Amino acid sequence: MATEKQIDRGLHLVVVGLAAWAIPGAGHLLIKERGRAIIIFVTITATFLIGLYVGSIRVIDPIGARPWYMAQMLTSPAVGLIGHASQTATTRERGRRDVSYGRPNDMGQIYTSVAGLLNLFSVLSAVYMAYCGRGEMIGEERNVV
Amino acid sequence: MSYNWGVLSSFAQPIEIATDAWSMLWMFPLLLAIAIVYKATKMRILSGGRFVKEVAILFGTISGFMVFLGVTLTILVKVITE
Repeated sequence: MATEKQIDRGLHLVVVGLAAWAIPGAGHLLIKERGRAIIIFVTITATFLIGLYVGSIRVIDPIGARPWYMAQMLTSPAVGLIGHASQTATTRERGRRDVSYGRPNDMGQIYTSVAGLLNLFSVLSAVYMAYCGRGEMIGEERNVV
Repeated sequence: MSYNWGVLSSFAQPIEIATDAWSMLWMFPLLLAIAIVYKATKMRILSGGRFVKEVAILFGTISGFMVFLGVTLTILVKVITE
């Protein structure tokens, strides 16, 4: 049976993982790795925004480009909102669903998807660092025998 | 009815990128991002100078290999097709 300490530790890892997914770098911030957190946040956010700027927000296409969308979603759950906004705005505006074509679309999808995969990497890194004992545990530190 | 994009207006239209060899230069910012995040997660202790040096070495290595691969494949295609 899991002890309180193990549950606290497990909960801590889950919180770190979810925070790192929600905001790139937030997982490292929780385990007091502020330098890493800033570098990761700036780099991943910039990569994602460059992708959006190059290919427009239509590169986030949950219907026509599902595999890319799954990688893009790894950047943050907020990408789902952008995808929804992109779909509904274009449909409402012109009565049909717009898509992005050609090289800008390729570049945009590659940039945004790589940003997502880099964030997956940073999530795993933050959880691993938390597992190895970096940062403080949440809850009371008690030895339960 | 027009939709108000607000701050997202810069992201509403794709930019122009020609389908030529120069568009390959777009890979370098991506390689830099990969090198930065990789080193930020892998280095045990982050120190400014050492971090920049490690990132530069990794970025140079990946970029060099990509250029080498591009040149090799171009030569291979020329040899096969001409």
